[in-house]
Amino acid sequence: MTNRPHGEFRYWHELVLAALLVGLLAAAGAADRAFLGFAVQAELSTHVWELALMALPMTLIIIAGGIDLSVGAMMALCAVVLGLTYEAGVSAWVGAALAVLAGVAAGALNGLFVAWVRVHPLIVTLATLAAYRGVAEGISLARPISGFPESFAMIGRGQLAGVPIPGVIFGAAAVAATVALARTVFGRAIYAIGNNEAATRLSGIPVARIKLWVYTLSGAAAGLAAVMFVARRNTAKADIGAGVELDVITAVVLGGASIFGGRGRILGTLLGVLLIHETREFVSWRWERDELNLIVIGVLLIVSVLLNRVFSQREPE
Amino acid sequence: MRKGLARKCCVRKPGTAGASVRFGEIITTVAQRREYGVLALLVAAVAVVTAVNPTFLAPDNLRNILVQCAPAAIVACGLTLVIVTREIDISIGSLMGLLAAVMGILTASQRFGLPAAVGIGLTLLLGAGVGFLNGVLVTFGRVPSIIVTLGMLTALRGLTEVLMGGEWITDLPPALRFFGTGSLLAIPVSLWVAAAVVAGAMVLARQTRLGLRIYAVGGNPSAARLAGLPVRRTRIIVFTLTGFLVGVATVVGVTQLSTIESGIGVGFELLVVTCVVVGGTSISGGTGTIVGSLLAVLLLGTVRTFLIFLRLGEMSTYWERAIQGAFILGAVLLDHLTRRRTGAEP
Repeated sequence: MTNRPHGEFRYWHELVLAALLVGLLAAAGAADRAFLGFAVQAELSTHVWELALMALPMTLIIIAGGIDLSVGAMMALCAVVLGLTYEAGVSAWVGAALAVLAGVAAGALNGLFVAWVRVHPLIVTLATLAAYRGVAEGISLARPISGFPESFAMIGRGQLAGVPIPGVIFGAAAVAATVALARTVFGRAIYAIGNNEAATRLSGIPVARIKLWVYTLSGAAAGLAAVMFVARRNTAKADIGAGVELDVITAVVLGGASIFGGRGRILGTLLGVLLIHETREFVSWRWERDELNLIVIGVLLIVSVLLNRVFSQREPE
Repeated sequence: MRKGLARKCCVRKPGTAGASVRFGEIITTVAQRREYGVLALLVAAVAVVTAVNPTFLAPDNLRNILVQCAPAAIVACGLTLVIVTREIDISIGSLMGLLAAVMGILTASQRFGLPAAVGIGLTLLLGAGVGFLNGVLVTFGRVPSIIVTLGMLTALRGLTEVLMGGEWITDLPPALRFFGTGSLLAIPVSLWVAAAVVAGAMVLARQTRLGLRIYAVGGNPSAARLAGLPVRRTRIIVFTLTGFLVGVATVVGVTQLSTIESGIGVGFELLVVTCVVVGGTSISGGTGTIVGSLLAVLLLGTVRTFLIFLRLGEMSTYWERAIQGAFILGAVLLDHLTRRRTGAEP
């Protein structure tokens, strides 16, 4: 890392992440060759799609200077909607559509409170984290619902030309997010809001509408993730996605997005997701102890931001 | 001079209360001071529940409610001050889990079997140490507090699980259990401790130089720095204090249970942050009172008991979290509407 991350070459952070990832994989391969095998990696990849999908809109939100703590709760709410509608005799596919719609509605409610009531997003999504999970527990009475048809399980477990279907969905979303952020007016506005919201509003950019959009997208992604999760596990329950918001935020921040807004890229987020995923899977694979993961990821988050701050130029607070 | 200044900075005075105060002024005051709003909600909720089920006001029940609320009240005192300085600490739940595990391992007769006093001392010390580390990373490391404490939330929980190794600790020494289950002069020990902490925090916030600094740093960090106030040291102190208070809450809270497992304190941070915010502390720093947080702890900590006493059936408790979330959204919405009416800056 140099002292000038804003110089000619703009991808230092991504380069460091990639180097870390290569180092990790090399160490993992040296410790246990089988871990790098294609079949193993493909099998392990089934765990990452929901996290990766929700990290995309979270990147947009964090670049715009916000945060969404309610993604895990929205996932639970959507999963329960899918489960209850299926139980009521509706086709699982219609149920899935309703689940995504529920996510859109939940995300839009977050957006309304952030954009129009103008409450700090940390408070809004902390409230809806409790509220959405509470509603999910309330309407489902916290019992699991299972027995979805085999054809529906395809969304979670099926393959399209050798690629898992959740991977296809995620790939399409990632391309869309990259293009939107880097090449559209919408994307420029998101960076502008994160850098200076007041100036952006005074420039005539519809700040409130853009904020509403990014939080709604986050809800939609949580809905899709819930459908993928339920299809893969064949069970819908109100405790799904507990704590996943921390993984998602960790991935995005690890990927170089500034929690104060204005800085970040989808590429960085993808590397952040990969780094977390590979670290976690390797630790579980090697030591079979998931709790070590929590320590590694927590320390990784703090240290990566610490290094970033130490090596970057001193910014006014 | 200093005291007068402190009062002006710290609290928006609710106007001189007296018989001659006009009705309109009272409405404005209530709208501006969140404490009164929370108190009104609390009184209304108690009234409704008592009307449905008069046994709610039985002394035993009230005592149980207060004892349940004690740990959140203790930690809320520290967290209020952290949020007043424009920071946040969401590692408190995981820290409580870690401290519970350490306390259990140190004192349980089948583990180290140390005397209760030594166990308590080390627990408090470790709590303050983790708080201090948070503060140093935030101030000298220049890592945002939401990131530091998010990392700690994850890492400390993992550390707790490693320490506990999936086992439970059931043989806490009686001297330690006394703090959670014993009584002095017919009042539970945990309530004595909570009362002392709350009183201490109120004095600290309003009557001391440090309290003045805390509000000054949160109100305008740049101005505080230019005025020569030790901004970093103030923030480190409030983080350390919060860590210490998590230790205190662990000693009087966890000992209410007969077993210690690695899941203690999960979600505790959400409850306490919610209480502090509902109690009127602004997330953008500079304003907030201990009393407001305390009232909000009583309101939100009692939701479950309310639901049980309303006799809505076993399933009603599933709605507890939804109601807590609705309370926060209601509080911020109310804030928005009253701000618009009084024309204050958002």
